[in-house]
Amino acid sequence: MENRVYNYLNEKAPPVREDRLKACSAFGGSCCALSEGIRKGCLNGTRRQFSQTQGCTLVLSLAILNTVRNAVIVVHGPIGCGGGNIFFAGISKMFKQLRDPKAEGLIWINTNLDEADSISGGEAKLKEAILFAEEEFRPEAIIVVNSCVPAIIGDDVESVAKDLQKRIAAKIVTVHCEGFKSKIMATAYDSVYHGILRNLVIGNEKPQKDFIDDEERYKAELVKSKTVNLLNVSSMSHSDELELKRILEALGLKVRILPCYSTPEDFEEIHEAALNVSICSTHDDYFVGHLKEHYNIPYILETIPIGIENTNKWVLDIAEHFGLRQEAQRLVEYETRELNKALEPYKKALANKTVFLAGGEIRVLATAELLQDLGLEVLGMKGYHFDEFGEKLIPTVKNNDKMVFNIATGQPFEQSNLLKNLKPDVYVGHVGGNVWAAKQGLPVFPIFSQAVNYMGYSGVFEVARRLNRILKNNSFNKNISKHTRLPYYDSWYEEDPFKYIENQGK
Amino acid sequence: MGKFVDRPKYICAMGGAVATLNALPGVVPILHAAAGCGFNISNAINGGGGYVGSGYCGGQSLPSSNVFEKEIVFGGEGRLEQQILSTMEIAEADIYFVITGCMVEMIGDDAVSVVKRLNKGKRLFAADTGGFRGNSYKGYDIVLSKLFSEYVQTGLEKDERLVNLWGIVPVQDVYWKGNLRVLKKLVEGLGYKVNTFFGEDETLEDLKESSKAILNIVVSDTYGIDAAKTFKEVHDTDYITTDFPIGDHGTARFIKEVGTALGASNEVINALIKKERKRYYGYLERVVDAYSDFDLQRYAVIVGDANYTQGLTRFLSDDLGWLPELVIINDLLEEEQKEFLRRKFSDYESGIKPELVFDTDASSVLKHINRHWEVNKNPRYYDSMTPAFLIGSSFEKETAQKIKAQHLSVMYPVSNRVVLDRAYAGFEGALTLTEDIFSVLLESR
Repeated sequence: MENRVYNYLNEKAPPVREDRLKACSAFGGSCCALSEGIRKGCLNGTRRQFSQTQGCTLVLSLAILNTVRNAVIVVHGPIGCGGGNIFFAGISKMFKQLRDPKAEGLIWINTNLDEADSISGGEAKLKEAILFAEEEFRPEAIIVVNSCVPAIIGDDVESVAKDLQKRIAAKIVTVHCEGFKSKIMATAYDSVYHGILRNLVIGNEKPQKDFIDDEERYKAELVKSKTVNLLNVSSMSHSDELELKRILEALGLKVRILPCYSTPEDFEEIHEAALNVSICSTHDDYFVGHLKEHYNIPYILETIPIGIENTNKWVLDIAEHFGLRQEAQRLVEYETRELNKALEPYKKALANKTVFLAGGEIRVLATAELLQDLGLEVLGMKGYHFDEFGEKLIPTVKNNDKMVFNIATGQPFEQSNLLKNLKPDVYVGHVGGNVWAAKQGLPVFPIFSQAVNYMGYSGVFEVARRLNRILKNNSFNKNISKHTRLPYYDSWYEEDPFKYIENQGK
Repeated sequence: MGKFVDRPKYICAMGGAVATLNALPGVVPILHAAAGCGFNISNAINGGGGYVGSGYCGGQSLPSSNVFEKEIVFGGEGRLEQQILSTMEIAEADIYFVITGCMVEMIGDDAVSVVKRLNKGKRLFAADTGGFRGNSYKGYDIVLSKLFSEYVQTGLEKDERLVNLWGIVPVQDVYWKGNLRVLKKLVEGLGYKVNTFFGEDETLEDLKESSKAILNIVVSDTYGIDAAKTFKEVHDTDYITTDFPIGDHGTARFIKEVGTALGASNEVINALIKKERKRYYGYLERVVDAYSDFDLQRYAVIVGDANYTQGLTRFLSDDLGWLPELVIINDLLEEEQKEFLRRKFSDYESGIKPELVFDTDASSVLKHINRHWEVNKNPRYYDSMTPAFLIGSSFEKETAQKIKAQHLSVMYPVSNRVVLDRAYAGFEGALTLTEDIFSVLLESR
C-alpha cells in the first residue's frame, strides 16, 4: 500500500475500487480462500446470478455529504434519486446541532429530470437548481451529486459548475457517484473526497497570516506540529468523537475533526496539521493518500479504534509518530487495566455465546476481535466488500480458520441461509440487514449507531453493557419469528448459501 | 417540463411501483435497475412511511438485477432473464412483477418482451416504471393498470353487489391500510362487497376476479385515474371519483355520492349516515369540555398531497370549527388537475375561504405563510395568526417551530411517528385524528 500512487485529481472522477483496489463484492467460503483470493486478485470479477438490491455510490456519498453543515445538496437526476434522504432528514439536524446548536436541518434539491430531459439533456435544470440554492439558502457550499441518468445523456456537470462559480458566492462541489459505475459501494468515499479535494481543499488553502515576529511564527509552528486531523465517519457518534479526542488530548495533541459535520470552510485549514489520523482505511485511504501527495502530511491508516487491542495499537501508532511512545504506553496500560476491571461482570455473562457479524469489512473484523475478547465465539462474518485493507486485519481475529466468510453488499438471502444453519446466539449487523435476522428470531445488536459510543475504551464498555442488556430479553424477536416468514422457499435453506455466486474459483 | 424540487415528498415511478407491489399480498417485485435504486427507494419507503418496514420481500431483500457498466454497454436483457428465473427459484410468491429503472430503459432493454418470452402466464408480469416517467403516484397507476389489463380476468359475469375501491396510494398515504379498512366498511354499510386490493384480508384471487364489480370507486381526483380508465377499457366497468373523506362533512358526502352512483335508496343512505353520526358525535362530545375550557380553536395551515389537504381542510373547517388559512399542495400536477382541485376548497359550510397554493418546494412554505398573513411590523396592537396549527409532514416540523405553531405529521413523509393500523378516513378515522391533534395541543399538561 505504501507504494500506491495517489494522482487522480486531474480527472473529474476517481477510478472505481474494482480497478484501484481490486476489491471483491461476492464471495463465500473460508478465510484462507478469501485471503488468498484477495492477494492473487482473483475475486475481482465475482458476481451473482440471483441478487438483491444494494446501496450504490450515490446513496453512500449522500450519507457523508448530508452531514456537512452550511451546505445545500443538489441531486442531479430523476425525481427518486436521493429520496432515501427522507429517512435521514429529521435526525440529521439533531446530529448537526450537537456540533453547532444553530445548525440548519438537511436541505437537498432534486433536479427532477423527466423523460424529455433524458433525451435532450438536463443541464438547464441543474443550473436553475444551483442558482435557486444560492439565492434561497446562501450556503457556504452547494454540493452537486451526479446520478446515473445525466452521466448517460452526457450532461457536462463540470462545465455547468465552472460557469456558475463565477456568478455565485457558494463554492460548488461536484461529486461524481453514478451508481451503475461500481459494484463496490465504498467507491463513494473516493467520489466524495475527490470532490472535496478538488473544490474545497487544493487551491483553497487559507492564506498563512503574517507573523509579527519569530516568536509568533514559532508558536504557530508548534501548534501545527501537535495538530492532527482526526477523520471521522458518518456511522460513528458524537460520543465516539469525544472519546477519541479525549485519548489524543491526553497525549498533548490538538485534534481537528473532519469531514463529517464540519463546514466547507473547515477544509481550508486541513493542510495545517502534522498527521492525518484515519479510523477506517476503507473510508480514508484515497483522502490521506492525496493529502500526503500534496502537502506531505503523513498518516495513520490501518487500525480502527474498536476493541482494546485495536485501540491500543491505534494510540501507540499515533504516539510513535510524535515520539510519545512511553507516555502512550503508560496511558494504554492504565486505560486497559481500568477497562478490564469494569468488563469483568459482562465477560461472565457473555462467555461462550456464539455470534455472527455483518457490516463494513473493517468494522466487522475489529468488532469480532472485541467480542472474542469479551468471551464470545465468532461463528462467521459478512463484509460488505473485501480488499487488502480487510485482509490485513484478518490475523487479529483468533481461530479465523474455523469461520465462514461471506462478502456481500446487502444480499440478505445468503445471510438468512447461513444464520438458519449456524444458529448463533446473537447477530451483530448493519442497518437494513438486521430486520431479517430479527425475523429469524435472533437477538440483534446493531454494529453501528450514530447515537451511542462504540469506539475507544469507553466504547468497549458500552458495547459490553448494551450487548448484555439486549441478551436479557429476546421475546420480541422470538414472537415475531413465530408469526412471520422470510420470502424464501424452505428448500433454500438446504442449499449451498453461495450457490448463486459465479467465478469465485472455488 | 417540470422544474427542480426542493425536498420532494415522493420518490420516482419505480419507487411508487415498489411500494404498491409490496402492499399486495403474495407478490414479489423484481427490479431491473441499477443496484442503488431499490435500496434508495426502500429507505424512502421505510423512513417516510411511518416505519412501515421491509415487509415480506422489500427493503434489502428486493430482488434486483443490479445492472452495472457491463450491462449498460452490452444490454441487460440476458441478466434480467437470469434474475427472473433465479428469483422464481428462491423466492416464494404467487406473482412476480418486473419493474424497470431509468438506466435499463435508456439502453433499450425491453422487459415486457423478456417476460413474454419466458411465458410464465399469470405468474409473471412486467411494466416500464423508469424514474423519469414521473413520481410515486405514477408508479401506482402504472402497476395497477398493468394488473387490471393483464391479471384481472376478462369475460366474467358481473356481480351486482360487488364494487372495487382504490385511489389511496400505499405509503404515499401512510395510513393506507387502515383507511381502506374504514372505507370498505362504509361501502359495505350500503350493502355491497368491496375489493380494495391492498387492505386487510384482501387476496390476489379477489383482484383477479375484480372485473365482476359493477363500479370502480376512485377515492381521489388525482391518483389512480389512469388505472380506472384502463379498467373501463378492458372490462367495461364505469368509475366514479370521490373526495378522500375525513369527518362528518366529508364522509356524509362520500356516502351520498357512492350511494347515489350505486342506485341505493335515500333511506339506506340516510340510515347509514345516521348510524355513523351517532357513534361519531357520541365520542366527539367528550372533548367539548376541554375544547371550550381551554379554547382549542386554531388557525390552520395545511401542507401536503392532493387527497389529504382537501379532506383535512374540510374536516378542520366544517367539523372542528377551526380556521384553515392556507393550503399548500406539493404534488407535481398538470394545469387542468390544479383547476379541478381549486374547486374543492371553496364550498365550506363554515364559509371559511382558505388560500390555496400549488408549490412543490419545502422552503416555500414559510414564504407563503409570511405573504399570506401580514408580518408583525411591531405596531402596538398586532393581530397575529396565532394560535396556529400546522398539519403537514415531518418536513414541516421546522417551519412550525419558526411560526410558533403546533404541528402534526399526517402526510408523507412521516418520520417522527410509527404508524400501524391507524386510519384517518371516514368517521372512525376522524376520531383518531381528533385524538392525535388534541393530544398535541394538550401534551404539555
